[in-house]
Amino acid sequence: MTESNPAAAVRVAEAPADRARTFAWNPGLVIGLVILVVVALTAIIAPLVFGAQATGVGSDPGQSASAAHPLGTDTLGRDMLARTLVATQSTVLMALFATALSSVVGIALGIGVWLAPRRLRELGLRLIEFAVSYPTMLVAIIVAAILGQGVVQVVVAVAVANIAGFARLTANLAAKISASEYVTTARLMGVPVHRLALRHVLPNMAEPILILIAGAFSGALVEISGLSFIGLGAQSPAFDWGTLLNDGLSRIAVNPIVIVGPAVALTFTSLAALMVGDGLAAAANPRSNSTRARLVRAEGEPALVAIEGDDVVLIADGITVTHGSTGRPLVSDVSFTIRRGEVLGIVGESGSGKSLTASVVARLLGEGLEASARRLELGGTDLIGRVSGRTLASKIGLVYQDPGTALNPALVLGSQLSDVLTIRLGFPRRGALGLLARAFEAVKLSDPEGRLRQHPHQLSGGMKQRAMIASAMSTKPDLLIADEPTTALDVTVQREVLSLLKRMNEQSGTAVLFISHDLGVVRALCDRVLVMKDGRIVERIDDVATLSEDTVEHPYTKQLLAATPVVAVPREARS
Amino acid sequence: MSTTTADSFAAPGPGTPESTRPVKAATLAGAWRTFLVRRVVGLIVNLALLVLVTFLIVQLIPGDPATAIAGESASLGQVELVRTQLGLDQPLPVQLWTYVSGVVQGDFGDSYRYRQPAMDIVMTAVPYTLTITIAAVVLLLVLGIALGMAIGVATRGDRRRWLDLSFSVVTGIISSIPTYVLATGFVVVFAVLWRVLPPAYSPAYNIGAAAILPIASLSIGGICSVARIVRRETAVILEQDYMRTARGWRLPTLTLYVKHMLPNLLTTALTLSGIILTALLGSALITEAVFAWPGLGGVIVQAIAVDKDYPVIRAAVFVIGLISLVMTLIIDIILGIIDPRTLGGKRD
Repeated sequence: MTESNPAAAVRVAEAPADRARTFAWNPGLVIGLVILVVVALTAIIAPLVFGAQATGVGSDPGQSASAAHPLGTDTLGRDMLARTLVATQSTVLMALFATALSSVVGIALGIGVWLAPRRLRELGLRLIEFAVSYPTMLVAIIVAAILGQGVVQVVVAVAVANIAGFARLTANLAAKISASEYVTTARLMGVPVHRLALRHVLPNMAEPILILIAGAFSGALVEISGLSFIGLGAQSPAFDWGTLLNDGLSRIAVNPIVIVGPAVALTFTSLAALMVGDGLAAAANPRSNSTRARLVRAEGEPALVAIEGDDVVLIADGITVTHGSTGRPLVSDVSFTIRRGEVLGIVGESGSGKSLTASVVARLLGEGLEASARRLELGGTDLIGRVSGRTLASKIGLVYQDPGTALNPALVLGSQLSDVLTIRLGFPRRGALGLLARAFEAVKLSDPEGRLRQHPHQLSGGMKQRAMIASAMSTKPDLLIADEPTTALDVTVQREVLSLLKRMNEQSGTAVLFISHDLGVVRALCDRVLVMKDGRIVERIDDVATLSEDTVEHPYTKQLLAATPVVAVPREARS
Repeated sequence: MSTTTADSFAAPGPGTPESTRPVKAATLAGAWRTFLVRRVVGLIVNLALLVLVTFLIVQLIPGDPATAIAGESASLGQVELVRTQLGLDQPLPVQLWTYVSGVVQGDFGDSYRYRQPAMDIVMTAVPYTLTITIAAVVLLLVLGIALGMAIGVATRGDRRRWLDLSFSVVTGIISSIPTYVLATGFVVVFAVLWRVLPPAYSPAYNIGAAAILPIASLSIGGICSVARIVRRETAVILEQDYMRTARGWRLPTLTLYVKHMLPNLLTTALTLSGIILTALLGSALITEAVFAWPGLGGVIVQAIAVDKDYPVIRAAVFVIGLISLVMTLIIDIILGIIDPRTLGGKRD
């Protein structure tokens, strides 16, 4: 059942299910816990100290704020501050009981449903879904309609209303965790079921459930007080914050100060519980901090000599990338050129800086990184400093690693791929779509016009990557940057995409910067290869045709070569 | 929310380039058909459960329901009258049959208090509740998304940390004020102290002016919650590969955020709005009490706490349940139009 407080509902909905290894204390968590401790102490002490004052009839009824009664007095002359403080006990106890009841029953139900045979489990999950889709308040009101009014009835009503939420979270978490790799592994290793549940499943559920409990307590507090507020809860002479607020509402025009006590108490206690919930969630998933990216010109002697010539498309000299906050170097002094029609490969392991180098060239450096270069020119345009979007869009085409995530899932292909043409290159919409359809045809996508009307999820991975290549080539760029374009694809599709890239390169003469971790793929496609390791170029291979362990110098390259089988890409194999 | 893979839409697989017969790209018609069939079946099952739940409201009353409903001071004759009126003297299957055949015709019996069909009383109140709830939902979606997106973009990559911090603190506090407390506060400020808006509904006031405070108190907390989520979701989406692709196309800022980010945000926001909507409906029941708003909340509370008017309680519970079922369906259809991936998935 949904929380009556949208904030709580939403926070519960986004409670993270993945447990992080680190627990980071944060201010929200500490403040929330401190407020809750103060509330708990008030609940214990206030009835002892202010009990008489809160219930005894006073001599001056209906007073506004005064030194003797800071929050005024009610119609019977009872001090509202004392009544608010004393009501802490009943209100908090009711919320606590309701939360405890709903969490125990809900978790038991959730585990029961998860352990049940398949048929029963499906049915149980359906019923839980049905219950969850109802407003908590409505369920609580139904239960109140059955049981009548009173303290116990309200506690049971709110508890029943919140059970489904716990049951669903528990069942979902149990299903998710038991399907996770570490549980599958443990099961394969023959760990018995009860040990699995105790050692793997329950500990990993603790955190999200704790977060839900904090949210449910806040919700129960608000719901119970709400029921009391509309007269379904505590009946006179018993009182809680909800009834106090209701009493105040009837006198609101005459003496508005009397609502301050219960209103503030309710808000702060519920806020504290939510802060603890949020704090727990944040502690489980600490956010990383970073600063924005920038690219600056570095001074110094160029490392590249004899690079002039008409056919040089890209000149990159002294590219260096450092981590913004730590200053750790990620790419150190990388220099290279690419000629027209040439395919340059950069190969290296994860973290070698090859993708970072490409992102500097593409002017798409990630947040939190700082880059510099002595010289960075593409087709005669200086890429350091301010370059118009139009220039970059027309000169650089990009193909990314995972076509599954690189396309916007919410937009049809025609709409998203034509944007660059219409907005940046000034094509009319119809013309852009026509151009794309021809580009799709060139990469051998069937039914090009139909594809343009499809969403990315309707295409297979290889088709999406071909669409990406078609889009990248549609602007007739000087340089095509392909960052691991085949890594996310399966082997047969890889071959297709590689021969497609090669064909595009040969037909249009577009230079290609090809990034890969796979030396086998690179040697099959590229004219020249750079080998990167730890942010530096360790080997430049100019003659790929005769490449063997004897023609390279660096031991890392020799290792790479020894580890790669030879892959041959038949040229024009598929056309 | 789960997403579907390409195969559930019968898209032609890879390796089509060489095939000789022309391959047509799949459309979404099939997905919509399955979606609608599944949802209509689901709606019918949920309606059946709803009828069962409302039926059980009377049957589950502890002790003898007839005595409980007639009240402690009732004479034996009155108790028996209630018993025959509710059909409690019949065997359970007969009771259920009588109840179901009545409900199918919209007949929940006559109200004890008003001596007219319970459904009529409930239907008089429905437009009032729907007015403030729908207005509040629209407001909180529009304002919440706009605010969250603006803050998310403004604080991306850790820019403007002060804005981020003050935004979380302010929205955090506002969103944890219970709606009925907020409503009471609004009455004090706008009706008692400043006297600019009417404190409660009354035929004497303009209904538009009287609706402002209920709508505001229902939506403000929600706006803050939605803004918080959208702000976080914005940060996530800005990191997505497809946003990098869009930046790779060097699209201008407005296109980037409005065309490429917003549809993805809407999916999340609308999925949540289902939860928020049912929560709002619950809050509305209580908030109406503050403003003496003549909606379902007042009807159901009066029927439970004062009149023990079970035909009205049953009709009201049924209608509120029906409203949340229909609203959820509408939101799912809108979601499907915006983001067809959700058609294949089960909402959770």
